[in-house]
Amino acid sequence: MTAVGAPRLSRRIGEGVFLTFCWLATGIAILALAAILWSLLTQGIGGLDLNIFTKSTPAPGSEGGLLNAILGSLMMCTVAMIGAVVIGVLAGTWLSEFARDSHYGKVIRFLNDVLLSAPSILIGLFIYEVLVHPLGGFSGFAGSVALALIAAPVITRTTEDVLRLQPIALREASVALGAPVWSTILTVIWKAAQGGMLTGALLAFARISGETAPLLFTALNNQFLSLDMTKPTANLPVVIFNFALSAYDDWRRLAWAGALLIAATVLTVTIVARILAREPRRS
Amino acid sequence: MDHTLKAVDVDLGSLSHAVAAMGDLAVAQVRAAVDVFVRHDLPAAEKVVRADNAVDLQDIEIERNAVRFIALRQPMADDLRRPIAAMKIAMQLERCGDLAKNIAKRVPRLDTAPSEVQSASIAELGRMASERLAAVINAYRNDDAQGAYNVWLKDTDIDERHEGVVREIVAGMAAEPDSVGDSIHLLFIAKNLERIGDHATNIAELVHYQITGTDLSNRPKL
Amino acid sequence: MNAQLENPPETAVLELPPEVVKLAIKDLSFFYGQKQALFDVSVSFAANAVTALIGPSGCGKSTLLRVLNRMYSLYPGQRAQGQVLLDGEDMLSPRVDVATLRARVGMVFQKPTPFPMSIFDNVAYGVKLYEKLSKADMANRVEDSLRRAALWDEVKDKLKESGLSLSGGQQQRLCVARGIAVKPEVLLLDEPASALDPISTARLEETIAELKRDYTIVIVTHNMGQAARLSDHTGFMYLGKLIEFGETEQLFTNPVTTRARDYITGRFG
Repeated sequence: MTAVGAPRLSRRIGEGVFLTFCWLATGIAILALAAILWSLLTQGIGGLDLNIFTKSTPAPGSEGGLLNAILGSLMMCTVAMIGAVVIGVLAGTWLSEFARDSHYGKVIRFLNDVLLSAPSILIGLFIYEVLVHPLGGFSGFAGSVALALIAAPVITRTTEDVLRLQPIALREASVALGAPVWSTILTVIWKAAQGGMLTGALLAFARISGETAPLLFTALNNQFLSLDMTKPTANLPVVIFNFALSAYDDWRRLAWAGALLIAATVLTVTIVARILAREPRRS
Repeated sequence: MDHTLKAVDVDLGSLSHAVAAMGDLAVAQVRAAVDVFVRHDLPAAEKVVRADNAVDLQDIEIERNAVRFIALRQPMADDLRRPIAAMKIAMQLERCGDLAKNIAKRVPRLDTAPSEVQSASIAELGRMASERLAAVINAYRNDDAQGAYNVWLKDTDIDERHEGVVREIVAGMAAEPDSVGDSIHLLFIAKNLERIGDHATNIAELVHYQITGTDLSNRPKL
Repeated sequence: MNAQLENPPETAVLELPPEVVKLAIKDLSFFYGQKQALFDVSVSFAANAVTALIGPSGCGKSTLLRVLNRMYSLYPGQRAQGQVLLDGEDMLSPRVDVATLRARVGMVFQKPTPFPMSIFDNVAYGVKLYEKLSKADMANRVEDSLRRAALWDEVKDKLKESGLSLSGGQQQRLCVARGIAVKPEVLLLDEPASALDPISTARLEETIAELKRDYTIVIVTHNMGQAARLSDHTGFMYLGKLIEFGETEQLFTNPVTTRARDYITGRFG
């Protein structure tokens, strides 16, 4: 007879087995992540030098870097984020403040969730049909629009979620002082939620910085350095796509370096977002 | 309706019970004191004197429990009136006990046993006093505001009888100057019984206040 | 003998003499959609005094409070019928601007809700909506409000710090300071101490006791001891009706209605 308080042997075995499986699953996931990061690091670090940031993509066999791709990605992501943030924040605010229970709001929310999980290649194709084909050419702007369409639902969702978290009493307190609703939203609610909203934007940025498929149909690529977004624009993901499958060693090296750059960026941005999302400490 | 917290009802119940028990004891003491006077029974009188200790102890216990109830239960409205009335009634009853003890103490100090007439008068006064006290304690026991009011109204009966007894005793003093010593004891005994009647009136006011929350005013007085 | 012993009335509402009345409600009914929450409530609140509203959960006391500053207008489907007379003028009339009403009738909520800005900006928030004050005047207004809310000494060296950095009790007093900074005439308090510990509660109660010299205060509380400590008049509500209203002393020593007596003495059935 076991002592009172000690679990039966069968229970302890069951718990042990369950815990073992949990640890195993975690271990596999961490192993996979570690393997990816390791290969990125080992393969990419060799290609990282100052030329990456000073020279544009080379012809096969010659020296070069990723400057045009980096610049192009930055430009397109920036333009995309501007559009996505404006639309996303306003839409998320509307959903949280004015359409919590309405039928129309429910429909919009549902459509937003659909768009959120839409395959990015479909979005690329859509923009191709709507912007590229009729206007007669690939362009960086088309690429930005496609990226914006991917980022906006993320921002909408996170904005709405973080605004909903704010207590109703906060809004009522502002209104009780006589403040109009728009002022309440701007100066009180947004301010209270700004950490969460920024996190949402950063996560959206991390998402679109690595998107390849939509850019294939919209911005295409550009071998040379150009700041003209009305023409095909160089970008990191497509460059990686092209170079990685090529037969040339230096191209493959550049591809790995580019992949490492993207991974490092995404990691940094996610960490920053995490830090910002932490609650301010109480004195 | 009962209190949702049952312990409150239990506390109030035991408080009322304690006051009613003290009242019964006080009534018994008054009757016993008059009885030992009439029979001029010295050993029994000694017992009555000693029994007053029990009355005093009950007063202390009731006050302690009432204060405890107020501190721990934070009572409002009629719940508050109950412990307050309990404390005040206990004080009145303790005074009644002292007056009965005082009567019993005078019994051995009498030079001679009381005459028939004197016994009858004192006995009647004693009966009126103890009946008033018993009636008001019953009204308390039964939460009977009407009963308390009836006792309160008939305050003048015992006062009038007391006046009569005093005149008798004074006449006796004039007729037999040697009996002045005893007569003075008789006057005190009569006065004590009249004051017991007054305490019964006070208790009636307190019972009425406990139940209704209002005071009885314009007390009937001679 | 007492007639009231035999047949206590169903309701008992004390009429206040008109010269002491600051705020009065007449035949107020309130609806959440189809559901009626208040039934023909009429009561008056005395100026420069504290009136408490007590009653079990769901009795309508918070609903009543929120009608006084038309908070319900934020939510479609909620409507009020009847009159709310502030100095004799009906505040529920569509001609009355809601923002102006709320400047005259302020509210402090159950959960402390400091805005995500500095302590100074918190207090100045409401003032900036209505008045253009110079920097010096604004600083004076903020200091005066914080003093009245018994918070000045604790925050005077950290006005630039976030309002969220204060303790719960301090945050609630910050909300009080914020509410009185706009110089309202009436202050509505919805269970202001229910989230606070006993010490903070005592400090807040002392603040309220001092504020009543200059404001008309209506406080909803489920703590009867608090109502007994703070208020001059108390109203007991039950299932959307006002059952008994009168002087606090009367209600807590000798309530007239059986319902009120049962609630006050802990006979909840």
